[in-house]
Amino acid sequence: MPDAGDELVRPDGQLTRRDVLRRGTAGAFAITMFGGLAERAFPFYGPLRYQHKQLSGELKIMQWTHFVPDYDKWLDGTYVKQWGEKNDVEVKVDHINLALLPSAAASEVASGGGHDLFQFLFPPSALEKQVIPLNDIVQEVTKKLGKMTDVAQKSSYNPKTKKYYGFADNYVPDPIHYRKSMWFNAGVFPSSWDAIRRAAPALKNAGHPVGLGMTGELDSNMLLMSLLYCYGASLQDEESRVAINSKATVEALKVMRDIYRRGMTDEVFAWTAASNNDAFLAGRLSLALNAISIRRTAEDRGLALADDTWIAPIPRGPVRRLGNEHVMGIYFIWKFAKNKAAAKRFLVDQQLGYRQHFLQSKFYNFPAWTNSVKGGFKTIRRVTNQDRHKPLGQYNILASIAEKNTTNVGYPGYANAAIGEIWSTYLVPQMFAQVAQDKMTPQEAAKAADRQFKQIFKKWRDQGLMP
Amino acid sequence: MASLRAGLRSLPTYLVVAPFAIVLAFPFYWMLMTMFKEDSDLYDVTHVPYVFNPIQWRFWESATTKHVSFIFEETNYPTWLLNTAIVGGLVVLITLVISAPAGYALARLSGRWGQGVGIAIFLVYLVPPTLLFLPLSRLVTELHLKDTLWSLILVYPSFTIPFSTWLLMGFFKTIPQELEDAALIDGCSRLKALRKIVFPVSLPGLLTVVIFTFTLCVNEFIYAFTFVSSSEVRTVSAGVPNDLIRGDVFFWQSLMAATLIPAIPLALLYNAFLDRFIKGFTGGAFR
Repeated sequence: MPDAGDELVRPDGQLTRRDVLRRGTAGAFAITMFGGLAERAFPFYGPLRYQHKQLSGELKIMQWTHFVPDYDKWLDGTYVKQWGEKNDVEVKVDHINLALLPSAAASEVASGGGHDLFQFLFPPSALEKQVIPLNDIVQEVTKKLGKMTDVAQKSSYNPKTKKYYGFADNYVPDPIHYRKSMWFNAGVFPSSWDAIRRAAPALKNAGHPVGLGMTGELDSNMLLMSLLYCYGASLQDEESRVAINSKATVEALKVMRDIYRRGMTDEVFAWTAASNNDAFLAGRLSLALNAISIRRTAEDRGLALADDTWIAPIPRGPVRRLGNEHVMGIYFIWKFAKNKAAAKRFLVDQQLGYRQHFLQSKFYNFPAWTNSVKGGFKTIRRVTNQDRHKPLGQYNILASIAEKNTTNVGYPGYANAAIGEIWSTYLVPQMFAQVAQDKMTPQEAAKAADRQFKQIFKKWRDQGLMP
Repeated sequence: MASLRAGLRSLPTYLVVAPFAIVLAFPFYWMLMTMFKEDSDLYDVTHVPYVFNPIQWRFWESATTKHVSFIFEETNYPTWLLNTAIVGGLVVLITLVISAPAGYALARLSGRWGQGVGIAIFLVYLVPPTLLFLPLSRLVTELHLKDTLWSLILVYPSFTIPFSTWLLMGFFKTIPQELEDAALIDGCSRLKALRKIVFPVSLPGLLTVVIFTFTLCVNEFIYAFTFVSSSEVRTVSAGVPNDLIRGDVFFWQSLMAATLIPAIPLALLYNAFLDRFIKGFTGGAFR
């Protein structure tokens, strides 16, 4: 039996294999025990993770990849971090391409899990049964900021169920972009649809056609619905009854067919949402209807045509000068969301301090409650006027467009579930394209749309989501 | 003189192949040029699009590397590349481990019944991901794998294994049964015969499965986009369209760079094993 004295001692201080095993085991034990406990011990023995603990847990947000990269950088890196620290919530924002938002939402519904807050860029009225009502926070913000804008209210409220199925966060004015020198040479200003029709041949002959899409994408949808409003037509009336089959619709279809024949190319039937941006930035188009992403991109990339690119309100029609918002930022909270309290608090706080969002988005995101920028449109005008890009004062017109020329999808009614389906299946661009390509007369196209719309409206009425 | 005659004899071959080569290589040339273009060059329709403008001998002075730097410095692109390699590598491994024995079993051990099962397995491959992503997203959520690379590592074999099994089944049929019989007579077990005789002879088929499976993983979009929403967990196929198409603004040069870079190693891999790859695909075609 060996005693302690027999144990091998190394005079040079080297460790035996047994020493290594013994010390290693002790070290591993210490790290496992106390390392594992460190995370739990921290709140008691160190400072609180965040000083003003109000909420707790994680908040996961899904929203689009903003066209201004710096906006996302600021939002993810500064805003949500500060908000998270203040409210003791770990916030994580995921961004996806805007065209992929509906399929991402469908996947989250199917799996019954995902993000707490989800942002759509059009009214998510069809998802009402999957989301929680947000009347309480709309009321809270309204108490502090006054009435929300009409465009926001009609894009997030269902008068039948009396629920705010979404929280309108921002809307984006949709101006026309035009090349001033080209229109000057044509001797016309694009202030009305009739003026565009008259100038179109000269512009096309000069190699700079008009660029108004008629395909299944966001820009075409918004533009063509707006054209209907300007001619006194609409998809539905105020009582949510189908109203597409009208003389006004036929007139709008005729004018678009004329503009196409005289001043456009057949590319417009195969466009994506980026096509008008690219064609305009390449110097080919004389006019396009889009949010300010065209102008901002020209400025950011230092393109020479930036100085010649002007923005103006949607052209006037015989009845009115009114267009859809370009995108409508609406958040909703899934029924299965894990942190509903934090999601609601985030929305309220974000809206109450929307000025920074407006500035960081380079005047793209207009607040759903105008007073969240203190002083409302008056302040917005003053701020936009300070933009240093040439031509100076160009962005000043945005406030006016947002205030006077912008309405919701589904005008004069609400953006209900039927309107949502018409929007997302691009039936309006299809109707216009059929006429422009002479596959249907304007009267036939209006009647065909009427039949389709009535089926859609009936479907959603049967589901109890519409009056 | 003899070499001239040989050259003339192969001239028709080159005349046929050259247009194909040009057409197929052109997109890569376009991507290569575009990724180094200045915005003012790219967006000017009066410029010749196939070269850098203004045109000059020292052409690099008209080019820029800022859009390539952008994807490495301002996005998670390096992480996407790494994620793609991890997912691709593990899926290749899983696919080989499952489809090689399955393909062998169907080719050797199941007789006529094996043929039917082989076709049935291949039909599974034909079910489009656009139909499957909704039920699969439920599965991924239930397993708490959402927003992790494991979701892709779990789901991708659902379409790589059926095709690979079917492919290998055809390939194993081309290997003479006598080879295995000889090994069995010499004292090998079935497993040893498989390891020592069948798999080494089947290298072209196995290599085809490796390349094909890896390419499918690199190209796949719907699952990669649906199951993963954090930028830092994305693979190239989902990360690029999400972060380099912002709203309706395309970052063209960066897009071209981001798609060309992973295409280069894949193209080299294809090229290095082209003969074996063709053998692998046509292995069972004439039996």
